[in-house]
Amino acid sequence: MSEEKAVSSQIRWGYAVNNWKPGFMGFARREEHERAFKVTSACGFEAIELNAGSGRWDPLGRPENIDINYGSAKGFLRQLNDWGIESIASTFYDPGQMSFEDLHHGLLPTRRDDHALIQRTAAIHAQFLGEVGATCLVVRPFPSYWKEGGLNAERMQIAAECWNRVAESSAALKIQTVLHVDALSALRSVAELETFLGLTSHHVGLALDTAELAIAGFDTLDLYRRFHDRVRHFHFKNALAIDSLQEFKLANAERALMQAGGARGVPRWFGELEHPDGVVNFPALMAALRERNYSGWVIVESDKGPPPAAAAVMSNGWYVQHVLSRI
Amino acid sequence: MTLSGTAPNLRWAYMDHWRVESPQGPLSQYTSLQNFDVFVKQIAAVGFEAIETFDFHLPLIRELCGSLEGCREFLQERGVERVLSLFHAVMYDERKSAPHVRETHDQLFNYAKYIMSSSAGLGVENFIVMPAGLYYDVEPVTDEKIKACADIWSRIGKMTADFGVKTCCHHEFFCGIRSLDEIRKFYEWSDPKYVHFYCDTAQHVIAGVDPVALYIELHDRCGGFHFKDTHHVDRSEDYRRRPDAEIMAPTTPRWFWEMGTAEGLVDFPALMRAMKQYNYRGWVGVEHDKADVGAGNYPESTAIAGWYIKNVLRRIYA
Repeated sequence: MSEEKAVSSQIRWGYAVNNWKPGFMGFARREEHERAFKVTSACGFEAIELNAGSGRWDPLGRPENIDINYGSAKGFLRQLNDWGIESIASTFYDPGQMSFEDLHHGLLPTRRDDHALIQRTAAIHAQFLGEVGATCLVVRPFPSYWKEGGLNAERMQIAAECWNRVAESSAALKIQTVLHVDALSALRSVAELETFLGLTSHHVGLALDTAELAIAGFDTLDLYRRFHDRVRHFHFKNALAIDSLQEFKLANAERALMQAGGARGVPRWFGELEHPDGVVNFPALMAALRERNYSGWVIVESDKGPPPAAAAVMSNGWYVQHVLSRI
Repeated sequence: MTLSGTAPNLRWAYMDHWRVESPQGPLSQYTSLQNFDVFVKQIAAVGFEAIETFDFHLPLIRELCGSLEGCREFLQERGVERVLSLFHAVMYDERKSAPHVRETHDQLFNYAKYIMSSSAGLGVENFIVMPAGLYYDVEPVTDEKIKACADIWSRIGKMTADFGVKTCCHHEFFCGIRSLDEIRKFYEWSDPKYVHFYCDTAQHVIAGVDPVALYIELHDRCGGFHFKDTHHVDRSEDYRRRPDAEIMAPTTPRWFWEMGTAEGLVDFPALMRAMKQYNYRGWVGVEHDKADVGAGNYPESTAIAGWYIKNVLRRIYA
């Protein structure tokens, strides 16, 4: 067994749990968790990123579900340690997802009436993250474009108020709040991002997701160079296609575009880091991270990938060990 | 190298039965250079440094990479050092190729020699064989039949040694030499210089033989291992069931499992302690034979085995 370890002194590598497709009727059993996290560990990743969810069939989706299934937050962490995972890096929270617990079908950060519940839910996750020594609460800052159209000054201001409050209370728990702009987001331009960052406090950081941004037409390398002092988290995954038809505007684009593939029937939007059809230049981005002395987590993702789920983790593990860690 | 800078006692190889699901059904990694690339990187990612494969893959490998030397280079660029072993795939047939039938020995010898002469360049160290035919073809298993097997593998072992390759005998649970008594006689009557024991942990457990005790008894003949697990001992003579015991036994749809499952019957820690005690140094193969039966898949089983090596076995002996 090689002694090589996919870790450098400043950049730490984790893997997102969404690879295993948690949610209704999937990835619910403890033995599935055990095998998934052993695979993750065997491939050289030291941490995981959780995905905020809902309902008893998503046992890792909410801290109270983790308590029921693993006894407590620390009990879960101890179990992860036994399976070879050293830490929990972060949780991804999208307020637009429905909640069985809070009886809603999605909240909007751009609507003040929703703020109290968003903040309460974020606080639940931040509390958990603080207990396990994690770093980041990764949030979806805006709803999908199709829901309300593009951003305007008012909606930006309202969303900034929401995330400033979340970030302030999370910071008290030593958890950073980082904004994760995705392919369907109402935020569509660098100028909007710059404006929005200007409206948010220094507690609010950025999480750059290479594939989501590429699909939306952003250049992640350029964004990192421009906003590196606010970038505190990365999601590394490849994009296999660009939304060149601007189908983020489609109603229910989460399903119509990202799952069903849109007018072109794109079979897969996301791919492994070294996928031959991938458009993301990871060596160049990695060189930029080194150049700017980035210190923090890089979470590799392979959500929506084909089965078997382990295969993507193995391919990405090789690429991190043999290519990215050597840059 | 270990953290202390010394060479490790053990290195880990992966015995390849690999298939992954595709829209066109199960797909071999030898279908394209791109699929081969993905496979090699995936096993390297979880710590394997060599592969073992069947000798019928030789033409495919040659075609994919242009030459066997080219294949080895391809492997090494991705962190895999060599094709460590070739598993000699012969459908034994009493009419022309059966180790217990002396009249077929020349044919067996010539075919083995052909494999040796056509596999240079990969870095092969082991030629793995099932030393007797299917149990129902060999039974009744007599001393004379075991002696015939011992003779042909001694003869072939001497020939492969001239190519720098060890002939290693791997006792499937449905093989004609499977019980402790049969195995002891076989190694007593075969040439210790040329016939080596390849310890397949699951096969012996299924056959009711303790692989740890067997390794201890034959440690000076041991040429390598296939580490795999099983959840079942054959208690209803599936081993002699026609036409096939391995995938058609009505009692057991899946005989073989990766290391580290709760139901596993092989005592791998005990075997590692024995290997340490007898100072075994060299390669250890990990095999997932038919891991895709039921809902399983090769990548996940292989990564789980990689985890078990790293977190359990290496802490005992590395």
